[in-house]
Amino acid sequence: MEEALIAQYHPADEMRCPIHFCIGQEAVPAALSLLLKPEDYLFSHHRTHGYYFAKGAPLRELFAEIYGRATGANGGLAGSQDISHTESRFFGGAILAGAVCIAAGAAFGLQHQKAKGISVAGFGEGATDEGAFWEAVNHAGAKSLPILFVVENNRYATFSDQLKRQQTDNIAERVAPFGVKSQSLFGNDAPLVWKTLSQAVNSVRNGSGPMLVEAYTYRWNSHVGPEDDGFNKYRPQREIDFWKRNCPISLLRQKLEKLDWIDNGEVSQMESEIAGEIAECFAFAKASPFPSEANWHSRNFSNATPVADALLAEEESTDFNPSQGEAKLAPY
Amino acid sequence: MNRSISYAEAIREATDQALGLSDQVIVLGQLVDTPSGIFGTTTGLAEKHGADRVQDYPVSENLMTAAALGAALTGLRPVVCHQRLDFMIYSMDAITNWLALWRFKSNGKSGVPVTIRAIVGKGWGQGPQHSKSLHAWFAHLPGLRVAMPATAFDAKGLLLESIFGEDPTIIIEGRGLFSMKEEVPEKPYRVRFGKALIRRVGRDATLVALGSMVPPAMRAAEILAQEGISVEVIDPRTISPLDRPAILESVSKTGHLVVAEPGWQSFGAAAEIIAAVAENPASGLKSPPVRVNFPDSHTPMSMALEKLYYPGEQEIAEAVRGTLKKS
Repeated sequence: MEEALIAQYHPADEMRCPIHFCIGQEAVPAALSLLLKPEDYLFSHHRTHGYYFAKGAPLRELFAEIYGRATGANGGLAGSQDISHTESRFFGGAILAGAVCIAAGAAFGLQHQKAKGISVAGFGEGATDEGAFWEAVNHAGAKSLPILFVVENNRYATFSDQLKRQQTDNIAERVAPFGVKSQSLFGNDAPLVWKTLSQAVNSVRNGSGPMLVEAYTYRWNSHVGPEDDGFNKYRPQREIDFWKRNCPISLLRQKLEKLDWIDNGEVSQMESEIAGEIAECFAFAKASPFPSEANWHSRNFSNATPVADALLAEEESTDFNPSQGEAKLAPY
Repeated sequence: MNRSISYAEAIREATDQALGLSDQVIVLGQLVDTPSGIFGTTTGLAEKHGADRVQDYPVSENLMTAAALGAALTGLRPVVCHQRLDFMIYSMDAITNWLALWRFKSNGKSGVPVTIRAIVGKGWGQGPQHSKSLHAWFAHLPGLRVAMPATAFDAKGLLLESIFGEDPTIIIEGRGLFSMKEEVPEKPYRVRFGKALIRRVGRDATLVALGSMVPPAMRAAEILAQEGISVEVIDPRTISPLDRPAILESVSKTGHLVVAEPGWQSFGAAAEIIAAVAENPASGLKSPPVRVNFPDSHTPMSMALEKLYYPGEQEIAEAVRGTLKKS
């Protein structure tokens, strides 16, 4: 799908929003898609597309959103990096650790109400530069919150190497003193990723407290957009070649073929079905209307207060006596 | 029969009633579960409603606000308390990048009714890090409601309206107001956002006062009445939304406008109020409007300089006299 979007992205210039493609990082969201339930919450970093699917949100609304159409998941207001699908309990956002903190809040809300479900935060190692991330880790450990932290460690915050920013590249080790169980793994081995995340999801679901899974993976494209950003000279070609040889989809296919669980005919059929679905999504997006009404106020504020209407009386203020002195602050 | 209770007691009563009315309501904040209870506004509530519902929180302001948002997504109605607004600045990411635009970016599908109580210190050497009223910053953001209750009645009604409303709201509470009493109904009631109150009817000048400037503005009106000057005192009660029509209507009657704001002058709420009037061709203004603000300076600690820093009823009265002389 990402390749199909790239083919259309700049040439047609109809998708006018930043897209952070997740080619190379498919394993984690694909595994989560098999593990999460409707009652779970999922919060994602700006590289949203994989996570959007992981929560079962509708594909055509993603396309329409990127095309800025009224039929998009958010009516064309959010775009790729800020997309959400409330009904699916999926929420994306571009300001890194802020979303991890919100995920901790959702976990607290579930725990407080003894509700079913867990909260999952998907983010990159760049988010762990931000102090707010550690506030969330601290609180999750202290309150034993039902949250799963999933770090897709792709080593680079935009063009900045993790080891220029942090003393080690092992976030999993660093959360342990906070009371957050953790596991790190090679994040491009899809069956291994599934197995590890499955254990982690079950552990959190069973009330064993927060957990962090750190999946080492790699993005193929530049930080944003499909272009080659090699002119920034931030990562060696050898490294790129290594990770491309270890493409999560190719590795999975090789493994399945070796086990004789899948043959070329089945792969072709799947690819053709997916291509058909993508074509339908493009057609839907391009045929959809643009949003037209400004409605700035009602886009930003609610139009009704049903709970306040039900619970609160209307009262008129009586006369306030202004001759009273102000509170004299006691020391401190 | 209404009793007279203090601003702090009114906040405590509103919070107590909100916790009783709905299990969705929770209170988060540093030291909210202690006997001192945020200057008496949460005292005893943890004992009554449970420490899980009135919850002490780590000194992690950014997390606290973002977590309140996340909790709201699961159906809760969190009230976040800051003993000093200044600490809340750690949560500007949560407020600016997430809370204020959550409804917008979900295309109206997801609302987050989070209430943030922010107390602004004044006096006894609070100094530059315990006294900032940044209401104008917050009101600048689309998607946030900003209330500035000046009296016990409004403190209770606006807090309840916020807790049971559907939008994120910041309530700016002037610490100096906490002891002031007013008749307050016992039952839970609402004060609507964006509905100004005419606290004193007058014909010669319109005096708009915000938050902790309301009591001195009313005292200034009293002083001026004795000089034969009839001042109309308007308390907008919330600055987002701002009841522009009420202010315009008053100015069209009086022709003169003074705005008293408990904060710095430049780029502040008083400037916005004056602009709203001035850009209206039918405003009826007969003299240039005047602002009474704190100086564009950080707050001094020394009691000698505090006296020079904070304007009171005399400065407000002088401003009104000034506008009338210029007409």
